[in-house]
Amino acid sequence: MEEELAFHLDMETERGIADGLAPEEARRRARARFGALDGAREGVRDERGTGLAVDLARDLGLTVRSLRRSPGFTLAVVLTLALGLGAASAVFSVVDGVLLRPMPFPEPEELLVVWETDRDGGTRREPASVPDFLDFRERARSLEALAAFRAAQVNVARRDADPERVDAVGASHGLMRVLGVRPLHGRSLGPEDDRPGAPAVALLGEGYWRRALGADAGAVGSEIVVDEIPATVVGVLPSSAGYGLRQVLSAADYGGTLTERGEVDVWLSLQPDPVASPRITHPIVLLGRRAEQTSTAEVEAELSAVAADLEREYPENADRGVHVEPLREVVVGPLRRPLAVLLAAVALVLLVACVNVAHLLLARGAARRRETAVRRALGAGDGQLLRHFLVETGVLTGLALAAGLGLAAVALRAARALAPSDLPGMGSLALDPRAVLASVAVAGAIALVFGIVPWVQARVQRAPASLGSREVGAGGGGPARGSRSWLVVVELALAVTLTIGAGLMLRSFWNLLHVDAGFATRGVVKAELRLPQSRYPRDFAVWPDWREIHRFHGEVRERVAALPEVERVALAAAHPLDRGFTNSFAVVGREAEATDWPEIRVRQVGPEYLAVLRVPVLAGRGLREGDRAGRPRVALVNRTAADRFFTVGSPVGQEVSMWGQTWRLVGVVGDERIHGLEEPAPPALYVPLAQAPSERAVVLARGGDPETIVEALPGAIRAADPGLAPFGVEPLARTVAGSVARTRFVMALLAVFAALALLLAAMGVHGLLAYRVALRIPEIGVRMALGAVRRDVFGLIVREGLALAVAGLVFGALGGVLAGRLLGGMVFGVDGDDPLTWSAVVGAVLAAAVLATLAPARRAAGAEPLQVLRME
Amino acid sequence: MAVEARSGEVMQGMLDLLILKVLSLGPNHGWGISQRLQQLSRERFQVNQGSLYPALQRLARRGWVSSHWGTSDNNRRARFYRLTREGERQLDAETEGWAIFRSAVERVLAATPG
Repeated sequence: MEEELAFHLDMETERGIADGLAPEEARRRARARFGALDGAREGVRDERGTGLAVDLARDLGLTVRSLRRSPGFTLAVVLTLALGLGAASAVFSVVDGVLLRPMPFPEPEELLVVWETDRDGGTRREPASVPDFLDFRERARSLEALAAFRAAQVNVARRDADPERVDAVGASHGLMRVLGVRPLHGRSLGPEDDRPGAPAVALLGEGYWRRALGADAGAVGSEIVVDEIPATVVGVLPSSAGYGLRQVLSAADYGGTLTERGEVDVWLSLQPDPVASPRITHPIVLLGRRAEQTSTAEVEAELSAVAADLEREYPENADRGVHVEPLREVVVGPLRRPLAVLLAAVALVLLVACVNVAHLLLARGAARRRETAVRRALGAGDGQLLRHFLVETGVLTGLALAAGLGLAAVALRAARALAPSDLPGMGSLALDPRAVLASVAVAGAIALVFGIVPWVQARVQRAPASLGSREVGAGGGGPARGSRSWLVVVELALAVTLTIGAGLMLRSFWNLLHVDAGFATRGVVKAELRLPQSRYPRDFAVWPDWREIHRFHGEVRERVAALPEVERVALAAAHPLDRGFTNSFAVVGREAEATDWPEIRVRQVGPEYLAVLRVPVLAGRGLREGDRAGRPRVALVNRTAADRFFTVGSPVGQEVSMWGQTWRLVGVVGDERIHGLEEPAPPALYVPLAQAPSERAVVLARGGDPETIVEALPGAIRAADPGLAPFGVEPLARTVAGSVARTRFVMALLAVFAALALLLAAMGVHGLLAYRVALRIPEIGVRMALGAVRRDVFGLIVREGLALAVAGLVFGALGGVLAGRLLGGMVFGVDGDDPLTWSAVVGAVLAAAVLATLAPARRAAGAEPLQVLRME
Repeated sequence: MAVEARSGEVMQGMLDLLILKVLSLGPNHGWGISQRLQQLSRERFQVNQGSLYPALQRLARRGWVSSHWGTSDNNRRARFYRLTREGERQLDAETEGWAIFRSAVERVLAATPG
């Protein structure tokens, strides 16, 4: 461009010379003729618009300067948005990590869980039998591969190391192929390992390998002893191999499962043997990978047909069908609802934050009317104004986003520590790149909307009259005031909704913790044991006369009772929250009815169990020392069983047949919530441990100080048998709390969000009222001059604040009803319209609103009328 | 003002029209355009160069003129502008618009009392 202008100048100069002027004279005239050179340059540049980057830089500088001049405003906006955006990105990370992250297997959508169903019992997620598994594997064409697994806790002993209790999975050799997982070292299980009787091999889980063996590559080839059986380590599997297994096992209607850690320490060969594990028992869960181009429905159809064939061939398979589900559904399905609730909650918080910021921006925009008018008069085009506003909101949002992401990172680290570990992917919870992107998008949208609004506002005030108007300084205006009031009402409504939701969850949790579990949790410590076959042979020919087990029971009871911290001790096969197993049974004389009955939970307990756990005896008697092997077999039923199966007359005195033997009912006891606090107690049958021994044992010790018992208990048990590895040693109260960990986590989050939202809303009310008061100072001055007393003015402002609060409450109530419905099945023991929650929320909101009005009201009342009038 | 005439002021939009017309007579560089305008208007129009170049930019941005570097009569390097297809169409449209405007003004001015 310079060249072009220079050329023009030269030509004009030559013209001048040709006209007879001296060269300098000619040049000067040319310059003058040209007009402002710079103006030309600027004009061209303006038209060309190449200065976009330059313009942006200029806008940026202006924005930073203006923001720095109003630090209060900047801080308020950035802080508010940071809270909202931070919460949003934290929740996005959780949702992404848990729900959206693909499973760590190739083609994960092809993975299926194959359940068996029992049409009679109405169950849909039952484990399968070994012969069924072998038949399915052989006959199914729609599956590329099918494998089976089961889980248990086992004792593992290594050379020069104490025996340890670890999580183990027994898998058929096809499991790694189904999952598509390759070993980190060594090899996977092969078909030759899976043959019943083959030499025992084991694979180590990555976590265990790192933790216990220090990631020693030489572990492959070493020997370990699993439940007294030596096995050779042939490989190491990555942690991802165990993904979701715990969730699948937990989803099953019954069966063993992995502990809460959800990690697999040792993998063993399943060695499925149809002889040892006949069609009548169902110990394994099946995982399959569907063939290419097949759908889940097709797989289910084919396997159902096979199941129908099996039903015809084998009477043990009566009423058994097949139900196929995608693995993802089983693993993350139960989490959808709580995560949806979290997303809704964070959306509300973000909305509240945005409303606050909108309010602040509108107020500022009104105050800057003069500045904007001046800009327009100086020729700023619409586009330039918009760009300026967008830069401003962009800077604010950008700062808020950075701060918010920092907050989120911190919050996530805290969440990692507090969250229940049974959420898959919870361990690696961190700020997720996709979540960050989502937050950036949200921030961008906010910046856009907030940039456009003041621009529209500015356009509406095109008239140059605004330059002269006195109102400009005050930034008031009737309609603007009205819309701002509505903003605050909306804000309050949102906060109320959130608080009601949180309140409901709080009550739920409170109810949960205080529901009558049916057994005493305070002061009781449990320790679980597995008695290995080698030292405690289990010969079913002489059952229940298992001498070694009985002897152990007696000895461990003595030793534990001898501990000074222990007041009483009891033994059982399972602790109260361990579901144990069910068995079919019948009442003698009513066998025909029993064919329709579901199986009953069988609890094998020692004579002091009822006393230690304070389970009340409702009728008849409890169990006694005298109920031993060789004596008449007795049993107890719980209240649910009594109500269900013994509607006519008392169960006491009647006889029950189970395991091919008869048991005389001698008492009725209170219900224990075996299925967890959130579910009603199932019908249960209590039999004496001495008459029905098990290889599983739980020591329940009651005392004044559970922590000291926890320390002393393993020692006492090992004194009875040094080769045992007690596990799960903890106060029963902790087991109970752990069982409701998920609800507690969601509740805690909701409470945090609700508090945030309430705080923001209170700030909003305060801000609006303070603003209003500032505007009305002249009016107040007049009122006071006309005789209004301070108290009147004070009351006026407070009444205004309350009016807003009430309006907010009304709308919030509507929202609260919706919240109650959304929470739905997650609440426990409360209705959506629980009066205690609602009245508490109403009270809290009113109190917050009143508090927020106090300062502005006091300021209004404190205004001196003369001083105010003089301001005019 | 963009185009000054001894008879009064002319709107900025006129400049665009006049430039388009001059270019329709043949491609030219900025200085040449301003000379031609002066000449054609019998010295009535003297283009303020500070407005000429921005106007040319505007026309170029709208796609009505295109530019290329070339050599002038006296062998100097200069930027030449020429009319594009759309520019021709725009010229026709604006010329017609101007005719309508002018006849309307004349009719108003010709009104007699009564």
